[in-house]
Amino acid sequence: MTFLDTAPGPARRALRAPGVRIGGLALLVAVIACAGLFAGRGVTPEGVRAVLLGGGDDPTAEHIVLQLRLPRMLVALVAGACLGVAGLVLQSALRNPLAGPEVTGVTPGAVLGAVTATGLGLAGWESPTAVVVAACVGGFAGAGLLWLLAGRDRGDPEQTAVYGVLVSAVLAGLTAVVLLVAPGELGSVVQWLIGSTEGRVWQHWNLLWPWAAFWGAAAWLLAGPLTLLRCGDEQAAATGLATGPGRGAALVCAVALTAGAVSAVGALGFVGLLVPHLALAVFGADLRVTLPGAALLGAAVVCGADAAAQLLSPPLAAAFDADRLTLPVGALTTCVGAGLLMVVARRRADER
Amino acid sequence: MRRPPVALLCLGAAALVSAVCALSLGTPYVPPARLPATLGSDGLAGLVVTELRLPRMVLALIAGACLGAAGLVLQEALRNPLAVPEMLGVSSGAALGVAAPLVLSLAVPLGLQPFLALAGAALGGLLTLVAAGFGRSPSAVLLTGAAVAAALQAALLVLMVMADQLDLQLIYRYLLGSLSARTWDDVTGLLPWLAVAVPALVLCVPVLGVLRLGDDDARALGVRVERARVAALGIAVVLIAPVVAVCGPVAWVGFLAPHLARRLRPDGGAAGWLVRSAMCGATVVLCADQPARLALAPVETPVGAWTALVGVPVGVLLLKRGRRPARVRGSVSPPAPVSPHHAPAPVLRKAER
Repeated sequence: MTFLDTAPGPARRALRAPGVRIGGLALLVAVIACAGLFAGRGVTPEGVRAVLLGGGDDPTAEHIVLQLRLPRMLVALVAGACLGVAGLVLQSALRNPLAGPEVTGVTPGAVLGAVTATGLGLAGWESPTAVVVAACVGGFAGAGLLWLLAGRDRGDPEQTAVYGVLVSAVLAGLTAVVLLVAPGELGSVVQWLIGSTEGRVWQHWNLLWPWAAFWGAAAWLLAGPLTLLRCGDEQAAATGLATGPGRGAALVCAVALTAGAVSAVGALGFVGLLVPHLALAVFGADLRVTLPGAALLGAAVVCGADAAAQLLSPPLAAAFDADRLTLPVGALTTCVGAGLLMVVARRRADER
Repeated sequence: MRRPPVALLCLGAAALVSAVCALSLGTPYVPPARLPATLGSDGLAGLVVTELRLPRMVLALIAGACLGAAGLVLQEALRNPLAVPEMLGVSSGAALGVAAPLVLSLAVPLGLQPFLALAGAALGGLLTLVAAGFGRSPSAVLLTGAAVAAALQAALLVLMVMADQLDLQLIYRYLLGSLSARTWDDVTGLLPWLAVAVPALVLCVPVLGVLRLGDDDARALGVRVERARVAALGIAVVLIAPVVAVCGPVAWVGFLAPHLARRLRPDGGAAGWLVRSAMCGATVVLCADQPARLALAPVETPVGAWTALVGVPVGVLLLKRGRRPARVRGSVSPPAPVSPHHAPAPVLRKAER
């Protein structure tokens, strides 16, 4: 999908239609967020409503809703938004529709950084800032590794994606080795190797939102140059854009956003790869509109997956006769995302 | 033609040194000179050597050979230098098949475990092939494989989330691939599978040679390409699944060994590479098992961690270096056609459906 194919003709329609779409999507996100609040065990939907309307007199329900579910939902929303924006920025900057954070080594790198930091005792759940920093360093390392490897073949998107898969595999292997050295962390780390919103509290939210807001705003400021970069380096350079610094700044934003999301909820599979495709299909290729759209879509996807996972957990637990079974969000997004990725890969193969 | 014999000698020397290390190092230390005498004896050293170290060494050799051969079969059949069991969902599927009953605490007899692994591996591989349309474009297969592998990994991780701490450690070790505490029983359990796989390998060599030429040429020579691919995948699954059932997915041996084999003999055919790939795989696993046993002395590290650490960077390097001379020398190429014009023509593609 190129910019020219999807850019609408008359300027008026271009302004109106995305506004309507963004509004509708925001509404959808709100609905899904409510669903996220109501899903789950422990409190009945009536109890949730009572607490939200202020009439509840059950302290347990109030605690569950206000101290557990609300922050969890907010963290899911923001993390999803971060991943969606990061994916779109990456794909635009690299001009590669397959360049999600998962397959460019950014997410596995961030996980490696966070795991290493916690494993070495440099960071822990009591010092989340250090985790974010470590995740950032790891994310940059992963992206840099890919850049080194694929340097010569950067022109071919699929080749880069293939190298990205390899780099991700290397980083995942390293993570496994680190976990071996620090096996005590295993139980808690597995949870966010796959990506889970379980047990996220206000502390996580307080840390996540300023980070996300700052880098999200930075990404949005870069939307214009990025839209140009999507058209190709020569075209972008012809309009007077410094392509190198522009691309570099965009990549920094993408890595920072991914690292923030990973340190908050772990490696949610395929969100950053597929949400951008969805956003481009819905909003077209003008990133000034599509970036916020991708944020909303990412939030909707992750929060919706969270709600679905919570709804699916009790029947699954009953089916497998295992009380402890709670479906992590990451499992759901990975499975759905894998299916979608197959479709995308297959369609690209057909187009050849 | 001076290089290949030298390289082969190096490989042999590495294997020999590792084998001696495998038998003599550790507690108790048995000096190499005394090894022959110890082998049959009844003392503690003899028991350790014959009942613990020797089966472990044999298992490492067999596992490496199987994984290396399977890697070569997959790479040749899909004409894709990156088509390795790890990236096609085969290894993850097999691991899932073994780990699932463990976590869900279903009682599975030991003899049945390879079948579970086999089912998982076949499921993963077939899912990839079906979703990617039997390998129309190599990179499509790879991306699909990555997706399938990721989905299976997610299922595995869900299982790990469910497991309690003790199971978790066990599964984790297993998932990385470990040869610790394996006995002769494990080795003999592999033999029937080898009895099936080796003749199949021999039979498939000529077809592999034809498949290398490209889909169109292979078809012109009378090979039914799709069936041949599925058959090759089947053979690879039969080779991989029992190994995974016994020692876990020893990572990236199937990637490294074929590339090493092609390096050893750039102008060889499928048959030569197959043998060399098996040899390389065996050597790699045996070499990697020594640091796995001894590096953190009382604690054993999984051998898969070492093969992954070494295998992926080296393999990528080989791949990157191998591609450039390939263009210059033409026929002396590793089968690395990740280029569009090797994809089958659209007309034929329609005819297949």
